Amino acid sequence: MSDILFYAFAAITVFSAFMVVCSRNPVNAALFMIAAFVGAAALFALLEAFFLAAVQVLVYAGAVIVLFLFIIMLLDVERTRALRPGLVSLAASAAALGLLVVGVLWLFAWEGAGPLVDARGSDAPAALARNFGYELFTRYLLPVQVTGFLLLVAMIGVIHISKRPARDTAAEPKGEEANP
Amino acid sequence: MNYIEFTVFLLPEIVLLVTALAVIGIDCARRGKAATGAGGTLASASLCAAGILVAALIILIMPQEGRIAGGMLVLDPLTRLFKLVLLAMTLVAVLMLMETRPVRHVGENFAVMLFAAIGMMLVVGTEELLVLFIGLELTGISLYVLVGFARSDIRSAEAALKYFLFGSVSAAFLLFGLSLIYGFSGSTELGEIGVAMQAGGMEPLLAVGLVMTLVGFGFKVAAVPFHLWAPDVYQGAPAPAAALVASASKVAGFFILAKVLLLGFAGAEGGAAWGGFQPGWVPLIGVMAALSMVVGNLAALVQNRVRRLLAYSGIGHAGFMLIALMAATPAALASVLFYVVIYGLTTLGAFGVVTVVLRAREGDRLSDFAGMSRQAPLLSFSMLIFFVSLAGLPPLAGFFGKFYLFTSAMGAQAAPGGQPGMLWLVLLALVMSAISLYYYLLVLKQIFFVEAAEGTPVIRASKTGTWTCSILAAATIVLGCYPGILLGPIRLAVGAAF
Repeated sequence: MSDILFYAFAAITVFSAFMVVCSRNPVNAALFMIAAFVGAAALFALLEAFFLAAVQVLVYAGAVIVLFLFIIMLLDVERTRALRPGLVSLAASAAALGLLVVGVLWLFAWEGAGPLVDARGSDAPAALARNFGYELFTRYLLPVQVTGFLLLVAMIGVIHISKRPARDTAAEPKGEEANP
Repeated sequence: MNYIEFTVFLLPEIVLLVTALAVIGIDCARRGKAATGAGGTLASASLCAAGILVAALIILIMPQEGRIAGGMLVLDPLTRLFKLVLLAMTLVAVLMLMETRPVRHVGENFAVMLFAAIGMMLVVGTEELLVLFIGLELTGISLYVLVGFARSDIRSAEAALKYFLFGSVSAAFLLFGLSLIYGFSGSTELGEIGVAMQAGGMEPLLAVGLVMTLVGFGFKVAAVPFHLWAPDVYQGAPAPAAALVASASKVAGFFILAKVLLLGFAGAEGGAAWGGFQPGWVPLIGVMAALSMVVGNLAALVQNRVRRLLAYSGIGHAGFMLIALMAATPAALASVLFYVVIYGLTTLGAFGVVTVVLRAREGDRLSDFAGMSRQAPLLSFSMLIFFVSLAGLPPLAGFFGKFYLFTSAMGAQAAPGGQPGMLWLVLLALVMSAISLYYYLLVLKQIFFVEAAEGTPVIRASKTGTWTCSILAAATIVLGCYPGILLGPIRLAVGAAF
């Protein structure tokens, strides 16, 4: 049963992710992204990481997608639609992707995939919110703290770069060099 | 888990953190009273310098050594030495930032520089993948912000966007690769990963993880084919930010790459010899090294702007260092670390001189350097030292860097069970470093033998600028005459760690 579910959700995830890239309309792409996130959340749930699944839906399928949709609304979608990659770059990326796919298939099909580890039943630290929180604030305290400061730096950067130029724009240097 | 122990181990980083927050706080407090001008810059810069010096002092006198929290924090002579090196390079970048024209909100600029330093120190002082990745991200995001700080300059914005896009894609590769390696080994600690790699063979998932990890690190050290961001970033970014990207972030990148390869991927080396190919990271690094040397040095030949030239030459130097990493011996590791410190110091100095020229002449074309030796003799002489050292002529530090690099690579070929085929790479490196001499001399010709055209502004260096560059030049000469000053501690520390 869980195998069938796995394949079903994996197919949903992969198909939606594919459609995110292929959709012409950015709003459609964002909606497909929700489907991909929900599929991934279901995969987490199958691995008995229920807390992670819930967070995935709440944060990614909820908040992040809302942000995306806001930005798509604010951007000029019509103009970006005119951007099409050239034939050479298309061919090059297609060739690179083909090579990658063939390489990975060759690795798995001919060399053998090695022993697969059954992860079910082993302790998933993120299964319960309590375990998750306990791990975060004991074993992974340092990464959590550093992530906090990472967000602070990102915030400072965003405020600095996106803030409207103040009244004394003339006081700022015009850039270090004038280019032809 | 012991919070006190944590605090003690992280004391230098905490000092920097408090300093950064204080700088921002002071900037906010001054906002009402027109925080522009030299006063605010001087206050922020001296506070930053004081913070950096206190952190360095703490590292020097701190007696603690060891590893806590499963390798998340590692303090041994090697990490201490490199934290000191990173602090010194950040200090120079802070001084350079003081030299550039005062901008509004300069406090944030200094603070973000300190955050970048904290990130690099975390990266250097860890043997655990999670902290490694978050440290790299902290460094990366700080550097993206620094590169795009000159808001009104469109080139700075372009550089920041390119750096950010390349950086985030490479971070995704790195994270995916690290997670595959975690899936393979069941541990995020480099030592345990190494044990798992020696036990198990080369499996498909591991191979994919290895390649993805190397893609991520290839971006960090600007090796071909992941180098495309470097020329635009070096040229478009404000000079102090570019100097930090070119020196300290490269030192941290090579340090952690070496640690990951030698500790974590021990046992997955593989071989790149003709007819003796084995899958592993050595063939990948070999290809990256050869491509970096050729592309970097040949592309530098045709550059007309000194910062782009420094970018391409930096790519070439990354290629030289990758050769010795392939050797995977402690001696080679010591020579790589020695080389990257020397490279960082000389590049910092070169960017210092470029900052002064940019300020005076509004550009960094080769012709903008014309007649510099008459107007700023001490700076011109420093530039001579830096470029001759980068080209690798004796008796400067760059020569000994290359000498140790190439001999240790050859030594690894001669040793039983060592990597065959290093000879060809070393020969290629010798040819390429001969080529590099040409483009370095092009710049020096402008400085010393070409008269400045009528009406070009006179280059006037401030005292801080001249002193900083002169001290770096003196360090290059001293390390050339007595390489043991730096190489000795590095060798000792590497011996203790491996």
